[in-house]
Amino acid sequence: MTKFDYSQKPWWQFAYEAALEALEDAKMTMSDIEAIVFSGMSSAAGGEHQTHKVSFLSDLFKTNIPIIEVPSVCGGGGAALWTALRLSGFKNILVLASEKLVDNQSEVVVDWILSAAEKVIEQTEGMLFPTQNALLWQKYAEKYGATMDDLALIALKNHQHAALNPKAYFFQRPTDLEKIKNSPIVSSPLRLMDCSLSVNGGAAVIVSTEESDVKIIGSGFATDYLLTFNREDITHFKATRLAAKQAFEQAKITPQGINVAELHDAFTSVELISYEDLGFVEEGKGNELIKSGKLNLGGEMPINTSGGLKAKGHPISATGLAQVYEIANQLRGRCGERQVKSPRYGLTHNIGGAGGSVTVHIFEKV
Amino acid sequence: MFYQCQKCNRIWNYPIKKCPYCFEDLIEMKSEKAKVIGVSKVNIPTLLHPKFPYYALILEDENGNKWAHKSMKEKSINEELSFPSSSDKNAVAIWRIKYDFSEAIEKVFNLLDGLTIKEGMKILILPTLVSPSHAYFRDNTSPEFLDAVLNFLNEKKVNIKIGGQSFDDIPVEASVQRSGLLDVCLKHKITPLDLAKSAFVKQGKLEISEEALNADLILNLPIMKMGRAAAAENLLKLISKNNYLGLKYLDSEEAIIKEVNQALADKIAVVAEADIVQRPDKFTKFLGLILAGRNNLNLDKVFEKITANKNIDIENIPLVGREAEEVQQNAERL
Repeated sequence: MTKFDYSQKPWWQFAYEAALEALEDAKMTMSDIEAIVFSGMSSAAGGEHQTHKVSFLSDLFKTNIPIIEVPSVCGGGGAALWTALRLSGFKNILVLASEKLVDNQSEVVVDWILSAAEKVIEQTEGMLFPTQNALLWQKYAEKYGATMDDLALIALKNHQHAALNPKAYFFQRPTDLEKIKNSPIVSSPLRLMDCSLSVNGGAAVIVSTEESDVKIIGSGFATDYLLTFNREDITHFKATRLAAKQAFEQAKITPQGINVAELHDAFTSVELISYEDLGFVEEGKGNELIKSGKLNLGGEMPINTSGGLKAKGHPISATGLAQVYEIANQLRGRCGERQVKSPRYGLTHNIGGAGGSVTVHIFEKV
Repeated sequence: MFYQCQKCNRIWNYPIKKCPYCFEDLIEMKSEKAKVIGVSKVNIPTLLHPKFPYYALILEDENGNKWAHKSMKEKSINEELSFPSSSDKNAVAIWRIKYDFSEAIEKVFNLLDGLTIKEGMKILILPTLVSPSHAYFRDNTSPEFLDAVLNFLNEKKVNIKIGGQSFDDIPVEASVQRSGLLDVCLKHKITPLDLAKSAFVKQGKLEISEEALNADLILNLPIMKMGRAAAAENLLKLISKNNYLGLKYLDSEEAIIKEVNQALADKIAVVAEADIVQRPDKFTKFLGLILAGRNNLNLDKVFEKITANKNIDIENIPLVGREAEEVQQNAERL
């Protein structure tokens, strides 16, 4: 994966750099790749908005192999991986995602990101992603008694982790609880420090039928309604529960067997709710889990050792594959100061929109 | 509006007609009450919502359906939201179109107490008809909007005529055909009238179409355009072309509009399409709005306030439905 930041390279350059690193790591060249699955929603401005990316990638990699585009906004990377795992007849597939989305005034960038939400019924009524999630969190907190202090602990944890990750935006820039709790309110009750950071970047994964030291043993995908508030339950994400159920059934392990996980913390509230949806803890006990310290580095099941979307950064479609990058490196023991001790099972959880499409993947070190 | 399949009870927010599971016709779920169950104060601007802070609400009705709603005023949990109607002739109703023109049209009529449609009424509908262009250019009132208005009026068993007039060399027949409005007229078994071919009756300085004078209600049905008084302008089509050109030589267009308004004030109403509108540079812009009232000039002012972000004083215009600030957006940005 590339460094996640605000560099103004074109979208394809992020993709190219990430692909090159993946090929080198797999000891392959483009000649070994038989298909590409790509995900991306950008690029907004700079005259490079490109909707025929598969042909662009053909040109970039000088190849005529099949290239499929799987856009699913913030969940695009995970959806691309899920798709690649189901393509038969290919030995090596390059799964790739990149975004250059942050290239204008924030109102314009937000407007692009909001194309992942419903416009006519919800956005016209002031529903931005922080707002949707603030309202869902209110309903959750009202029902289970969780507090904003619980969310602050999640922000702190992920910033502490990011400070140790050279590819995270907040590398070597830790923060403290005071700053988190006093950050401005974006959409009440969520504060700026509860929101993930929109950045540019790319990530790549190669899936292969060849033997590897890291195996994908579970792969789940589920969707839910784009309109947020008329879902069955507005305190949890049904799609996460369904995708997790599929993945754990395939992996034949329980959530308690996971040693390290990358969760989709687009908002700190989403991370907390996801502890429950993924089965790490029973419903209503997510706040107890974050307070227990088990999710920090050195704990029983560190979550978002990369810094998560919150502090590593969130380049929309690239996020899902960046999560795989972190888990694969954790399982291989390559994470330096943020290395979890001998993990065997890892999990990635990638959400599109406000819970509208979710993939869960489970990995095993063999 | 929510739509439900009576067989499987699934509910949609989108105006689809049939349940894809049961192939049953969906029914509209009517609701009377909306209670606030969630409030978030939003402190950041976006292109759709440049004015902040505002309050994003979750509302719930008596059927348990929930939806998003914006308010510029703070609301509290469990507060019931209501939208009082007005019988003031100067009032302007604002409502959001959420894919369903029919729902929005019914709502603005309900918001305007004085705008009662009685059985047997003779209604002259005056859509914007200015160009032989396809509907997506938004030069003319859209066929979908006219169709929804006709469906609404037909339920009231009224007598409808649809008219237009060209003030340039393009025959109105060409505009009505290319715009798609002819198909809608024919679907409703109405032959559109070229008002230029109607008799005109002299009233003071004006020569007014007899079709307008014979109607109980003139329903102005303009498509709004940014930077123009699109509603009031359309009323000029009620006078003869020669009369208009002659008066224009002496007076401003605004003065002529005022004269027309004055002459026909008691029988004019306006229901304006502002879903996707033309900007001054002819590019189109999504607004998702419908406006209605009896005072065309007031309606144009409110529309300008919503789209132009200028300091236009509309304080003396009674508003019903949504507040102007709630629906205001940075419309100059594509």
